[in-house]
Amino acid sequence: MDILLKHAKKYRVDIFWAVVMVVIMAVSTLWQPKLLQKVIDAILKDQGDKITSLGIYLIVVAVIGLLAGVVNTILSAKVAQSMSADIRETAFRKIQTFSFGNIERFQAGNIVVRLTNDITQIQTLIMTILQTLIRVPILFVGAFILAMDTIPDLWWIIVILIVAVLGISMLTFGRMGRHFGLMQGLIDRVNELAKENLMGVRVVKSFNQETNEEKRFDKVSDDLNAQNIYVGTLFSVLIPAFTLIGNMAVVAAIYFVGDLAKADPSTVTAITSFINYLMQIMFAIIIGGMMMTFSARAMVSIKRLREILDEEPDIYYTDVPEENLTGSVSFEDVSFSYEGDDKPTLKHINFEVKPGEMIGIVGATGSGKTTLAQMIPRLFDPQEGMVKVGGKNLRDINEKSLRKTVAFVLQKAILFSGTIADNLRQGKEDAAEEDMDVASQIAQASEFINRLPARYDAEVEERSANFSGGQKQRLSITRGVIGKPKILILDDSTSALDAQSEKLVQKALNNELKATTTFVIAEKISSVINADRIFVMDDGELVGEGTHKDLVENSQIYQEIYNTQKGKETV
Amino acid sequence: MKDINRSMAFFFHYLKSYKLGFTVMTIAIIASTYFQVKAPVYMGKAITALADYVIGLTRGVSDKGNFVSSLWMLFLFFIFSIIAMFFSNIIVTFITGNSTNRMRKGLFGKLQKMTIRFFDSHKDGDILSRFTSDLDNISNALNQALGQIMSNIALMIGIIIMMFQQNVQLAWVTIASTPIAVILAVILIAKTRKYVDIQQKEVGKLNGYINEKISGQKIVITNGLQKDAIDGFLPYNENVRKATFKGQVYSGMLFPVMNGLSLVNTAIVIFFGSWLALNGDMGRTTALGLVVVFVQYSQQFYQPISQISSLYSMFQLAITGAGRLNEMFDEPNEVNSKDKQKLTGLTDGVKLKNVDFGYSPDKEILHDVSINVDKGEMVALVGPTGSGKTTIMNLLNRFYDVTGGSVEFDGVNVKDLELQSLRDHVGIVLQESVLFSGTIRDNIVFGKPDASDEEMISAAKQANIHDFIMSQDKGYDTKVSDENSVFSTGQKQLISIARTILTNPTLLILDEATSNVDTVTEAKIQKAMDTVIQGRTSFVIAHRLKTILDADKIVVLKDGKVIEQGNHQELLDQKGFYSELYNNQFVFE
Repeated sequence: MDILLKHAKKYRVDIFWAVVMVVIMAVSTLWQPKLLQKVIDAILKDQGDKITSLGIYLIVVAVIGLLAGVVNTILSAKVAQSMSADIRETAFRKIQTFSFGNIERFQAGNIVVRLTNDITQIQTLIMTILQTLIRVPILFVGAFILAMDTIPDLWWIIVILIVAVLGISMLTFGRMGRHFGLMQGLIDRVNELAKENLMGVRVVKSFNQETNEEKRFDKVSDDLNAQNIYVGTLFSVLIPAFTLIGNMAVVAAIYFVGDLAKADPSTVTAITSFINYLMQIMFAIIIGGMMMTFSARAMVSIKRLREILDEEPDIYYTDVPEENLTGSVSFEDVSFSYEGDDKPTLKHINFEVKPGEMIGIVGATGSGKTTLAQMIPRLFDPQEGMVKVGGKNLRDINEKSLRKTVAFVLQKAILFSGTIADNLRQGKEDAAEEDMDVASQIAQASEFINRLPARYDAEVEERSANFSGGQKQRLSITRGVIGKPKILILDDSTSALDAQSEKLVQKALNNELKATTTFVIAEKISSVINADRIFVMDDGELVGEGTHKDLVENSQIYQEIYNTQKGKETV
Repeated sequence: MKDINRSMAFFFHYLKSYKLGFTVMTIAIIASTYFQVKAPVYMGKAITALADYVIGLTRGVSDKGNFVSSLWMLFLFFIFSIIAMFFSNIIVTFITGNSTNRMRKGLFGKLQKMTIRFFDSHKDGDILSRFTSDLDNISNALNQALGQIMSNIALMIGIIIMMFQQNVQLAWVTIASTPIAVILAVILIAKTRKYVDIQQKEVGKLNGYINEKISGQKIVITNGLQKDAIDGFLPYNENVRKATFKGQVYSGMLFPVMNGLSLVNTAIVIFFGSWLALNGDMGRTTALGLVVVFVQYSQQFYQPISQISSLYSMFQLAITGAGRLNEMFDEPNEVNSKDKQKLTGLTDGVKLKNVDFGYSPDKEILHDVSINVDKGEMVALVGPTGSGKTTIMNLLNRFYDVTGGSVEFDGVNVKDLELQSLRDHVGIVLQESVLFSGTIRDNIVFGKPDASDEEMISAAKQANIHDFIMSQDKGYDTKVSDENSVFSTGQKQLISIARTILTNPTLLILDEATSNVDTVTEAKIQKAMDTVIQGRTSFVIAHRLKTILDADKIVVLKDGKVIEQGNHQELLDQKGFYSELYNNQFVFE
């Protein structure tokens, strides 16, 4: 809730007026029965002159109520929209301070859901609070007091009504909540089955399992139906039950007024307004109950957003002036483990790399190659030891200098929608067309870019669906090299290229970016065979280091990898 | 209009078997409405009687008999109305639940009968949303429509009749404002639709932006683009703020406006009623009762209008939903081949004879492809991406039908074979393995649900996955689904190999995975593949050199044509495409 309060401050004037409007609406609703009572009184007493003024009074009050409702809706919508947009912005800004570790903790897909669905929930909640939720207690309390005031002797009818409605609500809403949970589970199951049957349609058909899958689905569908009918039945009982309680209260009220009338005839005029108040009390409780069930869902959303807002970024950069760094990299006794892992992913890594060297990193899946590389652009901080770039501890370098020095090309080539040029400029803000030409030639991307009519202005569609895997990787490499970084890391980023293109990329890197320190992480030894030095990783340790020739002779692990790959190239 | 008729036909189809239910429901609704609208009359009578009684008191002549008997009638009418209401609610619940359930099952059943072509040409998400949002919309609308609309209309008619019976003048006054309310409701609904559409569009754009940026957050971080990401976000957010405002105002307006109009209308009725009481020709107590009754009516009268208008959008969605379900049901089924010849085994071999094929008529993928495989032979299909390897696989077990030529098993065209028997004899291991939610056991015995434990374990052992399964806490009863990651990609593939081994197919189609797996799993997959291929007639879409070298026959495809055919040595000697590929790609110089 504190998120809501914090973001509500800016709109306190609007909120104030929205609340005032709600109060006016509630008052005009509550006032009408009172006026009706007076009208009836006037009829009985035959006071024609009073009727006209009362009638005008009645209509004015109703019109004011109507207008207040309209104004309230406008204000509520404004506040709900603005607050949710603000909250979304706060959350988005917060996410931009996250490091890899933070992102992985939440998972990207999950963050997206929080920013979209959860915020929509919150928006609806704010709207409901301002439009309905505030009105309910006012109506309840107001109707209660006025009912008491109208016919004080019948206080016990009011109490019984409240107790009965509350009792039934608590009983059924609680039970309904449980069954809604079960229902949601079954709905998820229906979706899961439908989804896996879509994905596995070839498997189902080739094994002739259509009928069995139908049976499996029908069972879940029947279970869901049973829950649906159960909840529906509860509702079928609930609504008549509420109506029944209300009606009985009405009958009782009229009956006992019959008794009271003997002593005090004026109570007759009060019957209708008393009944009206009874109804309002009942509706207030029912609507309140339904709102509560709804708010419970929004509360979950608030909690999920809070988790994002409360998350501390893993990595802070020191506030030091920007500087130019050289391309040397050194690891001094670096150890690192991911959160929640009991085994370290990197164990006491030591090495030094001079500017301009090309380093290959090989090793089995899970040996820690990528993790090692991710230490260099400070995507994670090691728990032990120190990583230095240009002779300086990474913790003492500001973010901008580091990003300028190190370019990291991820295994999964991700492009953003926009033009090719937009994407390339992410590697160098002010890249001119010549820069793009040079970079795309290195990455072997110029060949297909030049075939596009709009060249660098060609659109990249969402999820870059209009480019093949190999093209995406080449564009991603282009983005990496465009800024002529001092240090370039290619994390298995040529896997979708054919052997020919891969070789050309390496050759171009050698020729064009001689001064750049390059780290190449590869599954295939052929990708790193020409490196100045190859690092061999095994189970988080750096177990071998040297040229291809050295390693073939001296490193057993390297030999093993090499042997499995020798005859394995694809055709 | 045609769509609406078709949607109505759809609902009719699913609802027609509930004739009895509908009859009872209609009677219940009419009864409930009758009692509900008649009750205020007795309330009015009771109050008139009470007023008479009170006035009589002053004159000393008084009798409460009328009052009590009216009150009894009121009580009984309330009770009857509620009982009838309860019945109609229950019936609606059952009809809605059961008919939706039948739609859901029918949809899934239909899904199982449709052609692979349909699945290949539609997005999963789009098909899936028919199970979720479309069915949901239909079920909501049925639930509301069957009960609410009918009872609201009944209520409205009932109230109008009652009002005119009671007092024609006051009745006219009460319904006088109805056109205004209806017009306002229509305007509000139209505006809401318009602005909600705009809102959805802007929200879609914003969500698209968020999705893209957050999914690519690692790129944002490694390139230091956080500030740009925020700058890009702000205008989208602002547009949503503006667009949503109007949508919310109009959609939120319906309730307060209707509520307010009801208040105003009631005020007018009270005003006019009391004027009538004083200036009309009826007794004051009668007039008093009349005012009370009309206050009740005018409050109830507005309820149907605002409820029906708030249901309108629900209806729209349901009609669209029914249309989308209809689309599915209109799709053709796979061929019915019950009366065709059953495939019992393979004696000679499998032939592709001058096969032409295209997924769409204007684009042919395979041209005049002929491949002969003798029983027990292994054929490796090689060629660049897009050369048609996977397409050939699709034709062998009739996921698609050839457009020219024929596919023959022992000389019999597959079109003349019973489909189920064909697929019983053809096993497939796909490149991307799919696991179904359930236990590991369920997944292995998938194609042969009555397999014994021994058979299952033997298949798992042959697929080299038994040891890993046993290393899990619950062994074969470990729960899996496609999304949770008990298994790596490689292990999933081993499970799917085990699944195929268990059904012991005569002809095997195997699409080798290209994805990178670690060397240990790689070796396991290789061994499992060797086991499964051994002694079977098989087509392998080959990526590993070893598989190709082991093949009895290599078929080289390029642009949908067979350009070379033969074993490794023969093809090398031809010095054609294959030998060039072989020499170029073999990178270790």
